[in-house]
Amino acid sequence: MANLNIDARAQNTYDAIVIGSGISGGWAAKELTGKGLRTLVLERGRDVRHVTDYPTTMMQPWEFDHRGQLTKEVKDANPIISKCYAFYEGTQQFFVKDAEHPYIQEKPFDWIRGYQVGGKSLMWARQTQRWSDFDFDGPARDGFSVDWPIRYADLAPWYSYVERFAGITGNKDGLDTLPDGEFLPPHEWNCVEKHFQQQVASRYKDRHVIMGRAAHITKPQPVHLQQGRAQCQHRTICERGCPFGGYFSSNSSTIPWAAKTGKMTLRPDSVVHSIIYDEQKGRATGVRIVDANTKQMQEYYARIIFLNAAALNSNLVLLNSTSHRFPNGLGNDSGVLGKYVAFHNYRAGISAQYDGNLDSTTDGRRPNSPYIPRFRNVYKQETDFLRGYAAGFSAGRTSRANQNGIGADLKQNLLNPELGGWYVGSHMMGETIPKETNYVALDSAQKDPFGIPQLKISIAYDDNDDKMVKDYQEQMTEMFTAAGFTNIRVRDDHRNPGLDIHEMGGARMGKDPKTSVLNKWNQLHTVKNVFVTDGSCMTSTSTQNPSLTYMAMTARSADYAVKAMKKGLV
Amino acid sequence: MAVAAGGLISLPAWATNWTSETVQLTHPFLTSGQDDLLADIAETIIPTTDTPGAKALNVHQFIQKIVTDCYDKSAQETFRNGLNAIEEQAQKAFGKPFREGDTAQRTALLTQFSQSTEPAQKEFYSMVKGLTVRGYMNSEYVMTNLTHYQMIPGHYYGCVPVPAKAVSQTK
Repeated sequence: MANLNIDARAQNTYDAIVIGSGISGGWAAKELTGKGLRTLVLERGRDVRHVTDYPTTMMQPWEFDHRGQLTKEVKDANPIISKCYAFYEGTQQFFVKDAEHPYIQEKPFDWIRGYQVGGKSLMWARQTQRWSDFDFDGPARDGFSVDWPIRYADLAPWYSYVERFAGITGNKDGLDTLPDGEFLPPHEWNCVEKHFQQQVASRYKDRHVIMGRAAHITKPQPVHLQQGRAQCQHRTICERGCPFGGYFSSNSSTIPWAAKTGKMTLRPDSVVHSIIYDEQKGRATGVRIVDANTKQMQEYYARIIFLNAAALNSNLVLLNSTSHRFPNGLGNDSGVLGKYVAFHNYRAGISAQYDGNLDSTTDGRRPNSPYIPRFRNVYKQETDFLRGYAAGFSAGRTSRANQNGIGADLKQNLLNPELGGWYVGSHMMGETIPKETNYVALDSAQKDPFGIPQLKISIAYDDNDDKMVKDYQEQMTEMFTAAGFTNIRVRDDHRNPGLDIHEMGGARMGKDPKTSVLNKWNQLHTVKNVFVTDGSCMTSTSTQNPSLTYMAMTARSADYAVKAMKKGLV
Repeated sequence: MAVAAGGLISLPAWATNWTSETVQLTHPFLTSGQDDLLADIAETIIPTTDTPGAKALNVHQFIQKIVTDCYDKSAQETFRNGLNAIEEQAQKAFGKPFREGDTAQRTALLTQFSQSTEPAQKEFYSMVKGLTVRGYMNSEYVMTNLTHYQMIPGHYYGCVPVPAKAVSQTK
């Protein structure tokens, strides 16, 4: 019997375990297998294979029973996920339904999740900007968080590394607020976007309108073709999964790349319960999972563990990994685990019309749009709120049919639409301040369907956010007015936190183990063989979309982990 | 060129086996008589001319599907009552079922509903008209033959001159 147990243990032992297969987990899998480690990738959801598991990707609009609309049954059963802009008839299969993973909203929070191989990398909006030193220096300067243990220079080569592989389109703009990357050719501007760019440039020396940087292959390089990916075809139905691999997803890129090494074992339907800590050895030895189908508990073992379950779930796993040594969660001597969660504020927007450039229009579709990097409080504190916001911006033209009348006249009108004027719009992406009062914790009584404590989420906006919303609306109105846009309308939809899908923090990085959970290598200060490289590691949130930074951090951290492992340090 | 690059990837069987008959009702909400009436109303709104009208494109089935699956009870009631009201009015106005009225009679009746002082009638008409337009414009026939929808444009050109006659024409 004893021998059998040893055999079983050996069978369940790997060099490395990666928890999660989304945007950062995919990179952990690729890097660790690429360096020769036998790696087990645990994914709580089902397997989703590139192309074959994208059931709606080639469906024409008329092939959807409800032409894309959600049914009443789905909406009634899913009040939270139904609010997500990307959730519709063609994408339902990739989003977590409300009942599948209950959580407790101490304050309203719309938690948007994708539980499957590839995670949310299948449905993300693909914007990929680097952070700058203004972002990494910010907390130390403003004093609103702890100092980051790294700076832009630490990450710069890793940004380049992941950009080349993932395929990022963009323009080299030479801005100190938004460092340039390794770009494929940028997408095209339209006339009105160009007009706005010129108007802004002529009036403000520190405000810029640039083409968005996005994870789309505008010109495939050999490394993309080797991945089996092809040029973006401008379908703009990305969130159904792209059969061309035109945008980056774990499914089309990192996971199959890791599989090709022969070193990866992928185990879907594996809900991670906790990380196992061995008191004698003073290290983590493995991971405890609940098989989603059988509900059986199972243990897997490895020398190093990468936690990439997505920000809030990584907090959950760490909090639920308790032992004598760590009664409040793995690596949580500081007591800050689960706290200082922050997010992005997408509440505000602005729209308007433009009466010029009527002799031109657009043709085709673009899965990307221009972008306005942060310009507030960059070089000095100039407002009564901390930090700032970036903004999306785009212009377009639609053709409108006159829908009056009935019968043959109506039909004639419908089939002969008139080209309308230009419309312009923008939305804000505000940085929120990580605060101790914005936290997640485990509920002591309520469990999820796998017997794991439910996550209690207590996150809200504050005054700083309200002031920032107001400033965005004022500044954009000023810029829109200057550009000659008319019928300007601002909005604040007061959406719940969470709906922006950029939750970050809880297991923040820092120099001091007393005030942070992870060190500069994304390594638990006190459990050196556990690395956390998803959104939970974030010390502050910046205004940039976070995914590219997770990818770069993961590659950097994996490189360090393997070197440290070889030196016997972990 | 760009499309050829995409062709390197082999697509699974279901991707090429498209069928046009996807509008199958799981729980029919209307009786078959009401369904026929709905088809005639939709056809009156968008009739057959030199191209197929709403009825030939099964727009009424689409409408019933949306009303059944996506609308709440009160909207469904408004819808059902509206259909009954149309039949009643048809009997009053031209002494026979709506179906047997001529185009002018049917059009007049629906126009009357669109301008009705009774909110329920007005709401019913705007619901049916909105769904008829949507079902028609999103039908395979219209999207492929008349508005030339492109699933895979393969490009984005930001600044092109407005064509002399901007958009698609009826054939």
